Amino acid sequence: MSFRRLGLSVAIAAALISVPAIAGNKLIPAGTRIAVAKSTLTVQPASEWNKLGARPGRNAETWTLDGDALNDLTFYGGIDAGKPLFREADRKNRPLPTVSATMLITDIPALLESSYRIALGTAAMSIGTVEPVTFAGGKGVRFTYAFTRQGETLHRRGEGRGAMIGGRLYLITYEAPALYYFDRSVAAARQVADSARL
Amino acid sequence: MRWRIAAALTIGMASTPAMAANKVAPLPPYVAAYQPTNVDERGAWMMADEDERHLRDAADVIRDPALNAYVRGVLCRTVGEDRCKSVRLYILRVPAFNATMTANGTMTIWSGALLRLRNEAELGAVLGHEFGHFELRHTLSSFRNRRSGSDLMAWASILVANSGAMQISTIGGFYAFDRAQETSADMIGVRYLATSRYPSAAAADVWDRIMGEADATAIGRHRKANQKYVAGFFATHPTNLARATYLRAAAQEIGDGGSAAADAYRAALAPWLPTFLADQVKLNDFGGSEFVLAQLAADGWTTPLLFARAELYRERGNPRDLVSAAGFYQDAIARGDAPPEAYRGLGLSLLRSQQIEPGKVALRDYLRRKPDAGDAALISTLVDS
Repeated sequence: MSFRRLGLSVAIAAALISVPAIAGNKLIPAGTRIAVAKSTLTVQPASEWNKLGARPGRNAETWTLDGDALNDLTFYGGIDAGKPLFREADRKNRPLPTVSATMLITDIPALLESSYRIALGTAAMSIGTVEPVTFAGGKGVRFTYAFTRQGETLHRRGEGRGAMIGGRLYLITYEAPALYYFDRSVAAARQVADSARL
Repeated sequence: MRWRIAAALTIGMASTPAMAANKVAPLPPYVAAYQPTNVDERGAWMMADEDERHLRDAADVIRDPALNAYVRGVLCRTVGEDRCKSVRLYILRVPAFNATMTANGTMTIWSGALLRLRNEAELGAVLGHEFGHFELRHTLSSFRNRRSGSDLMAWASILVANSGAMQISTIGGFYAFDRAQETSADMIGVRYLATSRYPSAAAADVWDRIMGEADATAIGRHRKANQKYVAGFFATHPTNLARATYLRAAAQEIGDGGSAAADAYRAALAPWLPTFLADQVKLNDFGGSEFVLAQLAADGWTTPLLFARAELYRERGNPRDLVSAAGFYQDAIARGDAPPEAYRGLGLSLLRSQQIEPGKVALRDYLRRKPDAGDAALISTLVDS
């Protein structure tokens, strides 16, 4: 088999293998109001995004531009009391903290911090500034955070906006590597979060 | 391959013969600047060198020179000055009880272990155990054991009809071999302690408390406490109970004394204690964290311990927990050296308990003490609303 044929068959094999993985991904068009995270939360992006087929949790959904390792915009649409933020990898040995209906808005960043620390196995996760903001029509919180996965050297930055509305948690997070990617798409992500409505 | 002190996984039911006779052997003669001698060992060292280059730059490494010098000093006092020169020691900020060793002399100890240990002798026991893996070249012998076992399985699958039972016993042999290595590392660790200034009984104390914490974690999560009396088929480490038992017996046989240096240990850890406690509290492990705090407070509740306990109760957040949390914050504040965050926690606990006015008073105190706090803007809205 010549090198060229080999290259072609590898490409075909790769395409065949990757079909199931990308099957659920979808282009989000610019300018249309769209419901996210299987909830009544809607947003209106000004630019195109890609919605990933794989969901972090039952009431969550992730959008990206270049892949979720490079820019990750995640919506949490009305997490009920008693439920964790995202799917638990090991409920028996590493259960995640759960939403509580009596949570104060100061507890929203703390919940995200604790969930990430447990799920990513790292203590290198910290909350930066926390300030009040109107989010999806409710009294909410806007916060910045930074983290590094266990054993990695890549620093990631994040920004979240959330509110407790009707005893449920609504949250949008954007995170990307601190080097180059965060700044490149933070404006697009903020525009989406600004447009959130219930 | 990395050697870890704690078993991450214990599954399986089949029992293996208990290690009955664990005599404390004398230390092997030491060779300085050991170099890998053959192709297998050079390969293992090359991989370990690559891992170490990665580890050296990792974000989890605690680079505080004082803490590193202190932990290294304990290692050197345990295994001896000449031996400890062959080790690079990294302190990792990971809130779990563990320490690791690789073939080329890369040792790690995790912050969760530093939090749980009580004195220099216990730290020496853990570090000595890891050094034992290095000195006894366990990575190499384990690799060879696995390779000859998989060769055996490959031939057996061709040559022997119905070789399934043989494969199972060979795989079981891998894990039994690993457990035997853990035991021998434990025993050489005791031997290092015996030749050091520290009492060798410290090694067994560690495992007693680890068992207590595992039970507390299980009960806190409404599960049955589940200590294993025999190591399972797939267990890579002996059970904690077995380790506590044979280490205790070995220490009695040696019968040495000496100071465990608990005060020096506490003093060296003091600058990092609030950080390590905060990391533990954020693990969503109420029972285990409460146990660790109670162990640390055996000689009385200090301000960092009270503050951490208050945060732990506030995080769980049942109505009764919020009352307890407010009490612990007030106890911490009454001691006079509480951080400003104690006022923040007190205020938020009171607000969640519907004690609005006292809560606002505490939050105003927090803002006065830390006007440039990252969440000052948000807390102000809670005070003003």
